Amino acid sequence: MERVVTAKDLAALADDMLRAGRTVAGPVRRKERYFYEAVSRGADLAFDFNYCVYSPRSFFFPPGETLLTYSIGTNELNVAPEAPRTSPVIMGVHPCDCNAIGLLDAVFGSGVPDDHYLARRKDSVVVAVDCHGPCDPTAFCRDMGGNEAQEGFDVMLTPLNGGKGQAAERYLAAAATERGRELLAYNKVGKEPARADRDAAEKFREAKAANFSRRLPYAVEKLPAILDRSYNSLLWQVTAKRCYSCGSCNLVCPTCYCFTVKDVPDLSCASGKRVREWDGCQLQDFATVAGGHNFRPESSSRLRHRIFRKGKWIKEQQGRMGCVGCGRCDRACTAKISVVEIYTQLAEEA
Amino acid sequence: MASAAPVSAKPKIAVFSLTSCEGCSLAILELEDVLLDILGKFEIVNFREAMTERSWDIDIGFVDGAVSTPSDVEEVKMFREKCRVLVAMGACACTGGINTLKNYQNEEDYRKYVYGDKWKVFPTIPAQPCSAFVKVDYELPGCPMNKFEFAELAKCVLMGKPFRLPSEPVCVECKKKGNLCLYEKGLVCLGPVTRAGCGAICPTYGAKCEGCRGLVDKPNLQAAADNLTNLYGMKIEDVLAEFRLFGAYQKERIP
Repeated sequence: MERVVTAKDLAALADDMLRAGRTVAGPVRRKERYFYEAVSRGADLAFDFNYCVYSPRSFFFPPGETLLTYSIGTNELNVAPEAPRTSPVIMGVHPCDCNAIGLLDAVFGSGVPDDHYLARRKDSVVVAVDCHGPCDPTAFCRDMGGNEAQEGFDVMLTPLNGGKGQAAERYLAAAATERGRELLAYNKVGKEPARADRDAAEKFREAKAANFSRRLPYAVEKLPAILDRSYNSLLWQVTAKRCYSCGSCNLVCPTCYCFTVKDVPDLSCASGKRVREWDGCQLQDFATVAGGHNFRPESSSRLRHRIFRKGKWIKEQQGRMGCVGCGRCDRACTAKISVVEIYTQLAEEA
Repeated sequence: MASAAPVSAKPKIAVFSLTSCEGCSLAILELEDVLLDILGKFEIVNFREAMTERSWDIDIGFVDGAVSTPSDVEEVKMFREKCRVLVAMGACACTGGINTLKNYQNEEDYRKYVYGDKWKVFPTIPAQPCSAFVKVDYELPGCPMNKFEFAELAKCVLMGKPFRLPSEPVCVECKKKGNLCLYEKGLVCLGPVTRAGCGAICPTYGAKCEGCRGLVDKPNLQAAADNLTNLYGMKIEDVLAEFRLFGAYQKERIP
């Protein structure tokens, strides 16, 4: 199903969803940057934006959430699972972040399925908006294949005008899933596309392909083999000299999914809750286990772990890259450690 | 640190102050929502900011303030003697805090500045944390301390659970809050090496982290020195001054 929609139509659709009681979120401008936020009116959503500082990950996998509450009686333990109830409509997601949602779907949906993630994801709708070029010099999405949305979205918006500093006002909205078809059928948003609209969308895609260039000096398919030869590289120690192990790269990453679980008793000590919070493999205690042993006490070993996860191990587990090339980790690193530079240097050494 | 073994049925607690603003003591009273619960579980027997009675039969003593005068030295030693468990509250008690700024000035000058023509009557020593003089069982860092961390410690004592400060830096809390990094706004912040637990309150309101909670367990201070001078154009003296504000008496020093 395809429709031609204007930015105003999309704002009205968001208002319809809000009236229907849905949580609607999308890029909101805060001074000079955009952030994914829940909105109370569709007009606050920005569809023409460079990048959002954080990915929409936290709407499905929040920084902290309660898994269960408990109370301890005289001879009994009462446990009540906490179930998330909001399944958001997220409007305005770039292809890199769609692919990241696709990876999270695969991770949280396989093995022991993650009820909390899946409950938020169940009725959610993701409206993607295609980008006409790299959003920022740190992006290396073309190398990772992140700039073409493969999964993780229900509707794709292709801009039909704008570009070169002009804001797009009209989009070709194409449903990719049943949920997407339902959304576009809701109040029959927009108009039937004309031949000229499909041509304009095709022109956008051609221009887009030309606008992205590679930053890695090799095809990403070679990366796992390059990493294989780099396990004992000196680069890990050299780079770790600058690294604070602050975990910022993990916490802004749209594909990082590690968490820690804590029990938080009330002051009564007879009741409390079990919470989970974002964790990150760069943090000092990430690999510390019961008894106090830390499997990765050196920051160089943690740094290497992250690079191997993103470039090799997740690919081996999930059949897709663990990195979408959004560049957020590079922007978040106050020590200016760059993943692309590491990948490039390793190839030169290997 | 030793695990906080449960003490008597209703532990007796005391709150003391050395050289400080006593803001950490007051933070306890600001625990409005859980204060009554705490009072139900503990008996406060000595707390100058909150009561007139005094008792010296104490299970857990909380002390805020730096050791900055000869009488502070005597007092902190007495607190240690009277309290089964001694807890340092706030930056002054944990690292010496901003009191230590005087340690870098001429003693006669600051004594005259503070005490005027009576300066000779008020003896002073370089400001130091409690742990420089006595064994401290737990530290609740920050300026002021995080009152919820105080409540957390109280819970751990009641349950006999070990109490641990967060090991991660302030950056983690900033990211969880979805803040724009202050470095992206062109500011230099000590968040990457400062112990979390404050909820990144300063960066959340747009002010840089000044490191009041002290450093993380294994801070990469060489990276701080290198990155701030090489990447952010700071002079090493200015980097040291940033760390000196709250961190003068920490074990780890800028290389």
